[in-house]
Amino acid sequence: MKRNPWRDIRLHGTVLVLVVIAELIGTIKIPITQDVAITIMPLIYTIILGLAFYLIKPIKWIHRKQARIAEGAMMLFIGVLIAKLAVSSGQSIGLIFEMGPALILQELGHLATILVLPIALLLGFKKEAIGMTNSIGREPNVAVVVDKYGFNSPESRGVFAIFIIGTVIGTIFISFLVTFSLSFLPLHPYAFAMASGVGSASMNAAAIGPTLAAFPGLETQIEAFAGFSNLLSFCVGIYIVIFVALPLTEKIYNWLEPKIGRESIMPKKEDEEDA
Amino acid sequence: MSEFIDGSENVSVHGIFNWIFLLAIFSIITVIGNYIGYKHPIQDSLVGMGILSLITLAGVWMERKLPLNISSIIYISVIGIALAFPTMPTSEFVSYYVSKVELLSIVTVFLAYVGIGMGKSWNEFKSLGGRAIIITILVIASTYLGSAIVAHIVLVMTGVPA
Repeated sequence: MKRNPWRDIRLHGTVLVLVVIAELIGTIKIPITQDVAITIMPLIYTIILGLAFYLIKPIKWIHRKQARIAEGAMMLFIGVLIAKLAVSSGQSIGLIFEMGPALILQELGHLATILVLPIALLLGFKKEAIGMTNSIGREPNVAVVVDKYGFNSPESRGVFAIFIIGTVIGTIFISFLVTFSLSFLPLHPYAFAMASGVGSASMNAAAIGPTLAAFPGLETQIEAFAGFSNLLSFCVGIYIVIFVALPLTEKIYNWLEPKIGRESIMPKKEDEEDA
Repeated sequence: MSEFIDGSENVSVHGIFNWIFLLAIFSIITVIGNYIGYKHPIQDSLVGMGILSLITLAGVWMERKLPLNISSIIYISVIGIALAFPTMPTSEFVSYYVSKVELLSIVTVFLAYVGIGMGKSWNEFKSLGGRAIIITILVIASTYLGSAIVAHIVLVMTGVPA
């Protein structure tokens, strides 16, 4: 019985302490210019402190075991987050139907990742670039790429790299990206809300935070659009990747690689045909 | 009971009792954070977290027990939307109590677990190198900005007031 994940006092106790510290510090606003300010929210403290507690050696009670439980528990807790967003969506269902065209078409905006392909080629990636730039590289996208190219293919190595780096820095990075975008891009509040549904629950969560803070009074609408758009990214986004993004990335790769491809930076393997 | 006892390497978070207790712990931590951060009454937000936990539990259970190959995320979304649907008798109750739990309170707790969990990927992360990090950052930025700009254009074209 000792091994039940909910009995791990070290893990849950640590999380409670992190949350209390984070909420007590509260949101900090750092003004840059007169009307531009960077907002740092409690959610950033807990994610960075959580990572630090795992990595810092003197802290002895957070180990691989705790990380594994945290990872598993997280899959369950995503449900609570999704449920909260779903309730907001249900309350605003009329508004969601009204905004249907924008919600559906913005899913195609995710194809913009392919614009990164030339940069990946210039940096010396070969077929890895196809795996790296066809999508945001979260779990469903990894599954699609591995399914299509095989586990040991360069394409899969590429998507794995994006997955791992995205896991570590994605959440923190997107929170700053959204903060800057809110300050510098004069877009519709709903557009920011819809864009935060990138197809990863934790990145979605981190992106909603600053958006909510920027538009007080629009909480329910923003939560509704953010939640619904993330849901669309899960259900529809995957088909966009399979039927549009991946074939398109391949086509552009085949056209562009002979023109701007560099010497491969990846270690050579004999089973690889050269591109 | 044997299904709850795992090998030392393999810590399982499955099994309905594990789910219930984990959700209870998560709810309590969230309610405390929600109280410190937003001063929402503890009783109301406990009811709110109870509702959200039940929806989650139902969704996770359906994913495992129903013979359809559908992710729990879809079940949870459908149940949540249905319960809060304006014409449903549950709508007022669910909307009131769930609104007492701030989304950001949930996110703050959730990301603490994410932070601890992602520590495991740290060594792999360090071995990947700067070029892959640049590409990841550009990919995330382009996916976000791409859909923000498309959404903005469609919203403006369909005449949605800001």
